[in-house]
Amino acid sequence: MNIDKEARQIAENIYSKKTSKEEVFRFFHSRAKKVDSYLKSFVEMYDNFTPVNGDSSLGGLPIAIKDNICIEGKRITCASKILSTHVSAYDSEVVRRLKKAGLIIFGTTNMDEFAFGSSTENSCYGPTRNPWDTSRVAGGSSGGSAAAVAARLVPFALGSDTGGSIRQPCAFCGVVGFKPTYGRVSRYGLVAFGSSLDQIGPITTSIADSAHLLNIICGFDRRDSTSVKKDVPDFTKSLSSEGKKFTIGIPQEYFGAGLNEEIRAAIEKVISLYKKNNIKIAEVSLPHTEYAVAAYYIIASSEASSNLQRFDGIKYGLREPSRNLEELYCRTRKIGFGDEVKRRIFLGTYSLSSGYYEAYYIKALKARRLIRNDFNEVFKSVDAILTPTTPTPAFKIGEKKDDPLSMYLSDIYTISVNLAGIPAVSLPCGFTKSNLPISFQLIGKEFDEETLLSLGSTYQSCTDFHKKVPPLR
Amino acid sequence: MNDFETIIGLEVHAQLSTESKIFCSCSTEFNSPPNTNICPVCCGYPGVLPVFNQKVLELAVRVSIALGCRINRTIYFERKNYFYPDLPKNYQISQYKMPLGQGGHLALPEGREIRINRVHMEEDAGKLIHKEGYSLVDFNRTGMPLLEIVSEPDIKSPQEAFEYLNQLKLILKYIGASDCDMEKGSLRCDANISLRPAGQTEFGTKVELKNMNTFRGVRAALEYEVKRQTAALNRGEAIIQETRLWDSQKMASAIMRTKEEAHDYRYFPEPDLVDFFISDECIDKEKSFVGEMPLEKQKRFRSDYGLTEKDIDVYLLNPRLALFFEEVVRYYSNPREVSNWVLGPLLEQVNALKSNFETVKISAANFSKVVKYFHEGKLNNLTAKKALALSIETNEDIDEIILSQNLAQVSSQEELAVFVKESIEQNPKAVTEYYQGKKESLQFLMGQVMKKTRGKANPKIAKELLEEVLKNNRP
Repeated sequence: MNIDKEARQIAENIYSKKTSKEEVFRFFHSRAKKVDSYLKSFVEMYDNFTPVNGDSSLGGLPIAIKDNICIEGKRITCASKILSTHVSAYDSEVVRRLKKAGLIIFGTTNMDEFAFGSSTENSCYGPTRNPWDTSRVAGGSSGGSAAAVAARLVPFALGSDTGGSIRQPCAFCGVVGFKPTYGRVSRYGLVAFGSSLDQIGPITTSIADSAHLLNIICGFDRRDSTSVKKDVPDFTKSLSSEGKKFTIGIPQEYFGAGLNEEIRAAIEKVISLYKKNNIKIAEVSLPHTEYAVAAYYIIASSEASSNLQRFDGIKYGLREPSRNLEELYCRTRKIGFGDEVKRRIFLGTYSLSSGYYEAYYIKALKARRLIRNDFNEVFKSVDAILTPTTPTPAFKIGEKKDDPLSMYLSDIYTISVNLAGIPAVSLPCGFTKSNLPISFQLIGKEFDEETLLSLGSTYQSCTDFHKKVPPLR
Repeated sequence: MNDFETIIGLEVHAQLSTESKIFCSCSTEFNSPPNTNICPVCCGYPGVLPVFNQKVLELAVRVSIALGCRINRTIYFERKNYFYPDLPKNYQISQYKMPLGQGGHLALPEGREIRINRVHMEEDAGKLIHKEGYSLVDFNRTGMPLLEIVSEPDIKSPQEAFEYLNQLKLILKYIGASDCDMEKGSLRCDANISLRPAGQTEFGTKVELKNMNTFRGVRAALEYEVKRQTAALNRGEAIIQETRLWDSQKMASAIMRTKEEAHDYRYFPEPDLVDFFISDECIDKEKSFVGEMPLEKQKRFRSDYGLTEKDIDVYLLNPRLALFFEEVVRYYSNPREVSNWVLGPLLEQVNALKSNFETVKISAANFSKVVKYFHEGKLNNLTAKKALALSIETNEDIDEIILSQNLAQVSSQEELAVFVKESIEQNPKAVTEYYQGKKESLQFLMGQVMKKTRGKANPKIAKELLEEVLKNNRP
């Protein structure tokens, strides 16, 4: 076995009997057991090799699942003390599809508690470390999935993205993170954070692997009323931009003050590479970008404050001994939830309260519409938008823990995409002088994942940043 | 003592008659063992999502039409947030800003109309069972489809509230939207009541009453509240805005919470569900189930058919029987006679077969013949019932049954004259006694005529003929 291989190449080797499903599993399992003792990307690893019947281009490959996606008979904790004992009674739709496609569920990955965060520090299991520099964060909230894939502890993983939770950790860890269009992938079995923003997506080492995984997880599900009844194309057919003429828009609002200079320089190089490949570049404007972070934190927290009410100690999970009902609620939630969760519940509860609802929640919805209109306008003249994924490379563990506002700003380039419900992908495009990954983001039209895959594969066919493996102890 | 005017508004929760719950496929069966009709969705497990049962929408549209509401064609759900152990998600999926139906009305028997403010759909909560030192929760009822029907404050007395509830129940049952069984909890009612000095236009302070388990209970709780508020106002005390719980044992209410303790439900649009559009087809289809409202039908049955109130009441409770009655009348336009036969011999036959009306097969055309032939004297009471029974049994045409069974009544003078003559000749003793003044002898001779015609003689004509022949032959 060789860790350089992308997922579908390993699958090809299984198919042509150069290796076996079990050999692949053993390889990743022993590597993960060793490395993860200090990386802490997994919440739980399933030690027994249990092959699944079912076939696809990825059949037999192990896959890691973020710990907020339900797997029947397995613990689902969302990295929260309040759910630390909860075992899921059912498979989420994505897990059902993966099993049907013959993939092996390898384990669950660490995350910010209930996906609230950008560093995986808000986990009841402690932070996941960045494989490129273990003193730094892996990003979040899908930090465990991103770090595990970056360290090649597993060929690929699933994450969830509410405001950048797939793309930002992938950018920090130097892997590919894809957030599909809202409604493309069923949310059934994803523990809700911001229901109108959440979307499950693949975390892979290459854009080609993303396409293969998207083929499996995308599609209408009648159990999710927000999933869209729309034909799903064969995404692997988009892995070449030959014969296509694309225009990429560069929004000035994403290159202002606060953008790290090394990242700015790396993005310039991406732009010139695209120019060389006969792709047109156009300056565009998304004028309402400045309202995105505020609108997002109101909408996401409002929905979250309601979504998290079910964790009350009555039905499942943690229950703190108490003398009466009110004390049971208070003690269970006080002890069960971490600080960031409480902060967002307060924020959301406040925004929805009578007397504040119009000024906060309704206003945020208006801002959301303006942001969506911005994108619609720009997409009249361009096929995709190119931006940095993050304003800075991975920061130190603990650096922003006590400064929520600066933590929130690390999602500044990713949040608008969720508000607009459109697809986006983060791709590695270089390293800083201190060898930390840098990534760029491609944003597409609603249900046009294909253009992103085409442009991403054009980039990756000319570069090998995505092939770099972090030096691990 | 001052005169006060009572103002009442009612909030009714009716469970819609669907097979499955509103947001999952669990059964709505009543009386199942605790926590057996449940699934991850209705128990609010992490990761689950609701899926709206379209049947709920159809029934809710039907009720909105029946109550004459304006129907909002694009609807959405909202979350009503509050913590309670019988509410697994700690929010209830309901409708708030944009209810399904608005601005309807319900006519009371005396002719007054009560305006309906709104009709909206929502999910029910579970049931708490309190034990010594602990409580149990049964989630079977969680997610049952409810329709909340809110009246305007148009009701003027506890008795009128009682009538409103009865009328509403009649309508909901009539259109098949709810079985309205208060014992099963499929109909519940909260009341808002305030008093104001007669002639004043502003409303007084309202009090909400809960926990009434019967319509009579609602009336009693309101009567109690009228007395309580009247007494307080007469003492010069202010009424406090509060929610009171009715105790049917003590026949009294007590404070549950005051306005200060009222919840902030933090309503916002349910992001897990999309907007629903109500099509013209849906409205037309549901309209066809609604048809005529009970009070309209009552009026029409009185004026068009001249039926007795007793008969009309039976038809109001049995719309299918009423439909059959009307069909029969179309074939034979003698409503009173038809109704006598529908509610008399027909239902007797149905009961004799231990069956119900829906499964008994007889066409309106066929049935109309039975009534017509009886009325015209072609069949007598006995033979008509026999023909009816045979027709139900064999599904054969009445005319054929009369022929094959030779049931036609003998009414012709000539035919009957032969039998009359024979009876007189063969029974000289009875004839003699008749002339001596013994009235019973006439009955005996009639019996002989009947016997000879095997019951088919038209009794009226036969008797007249017999008396005439005896008179003419008097010695």
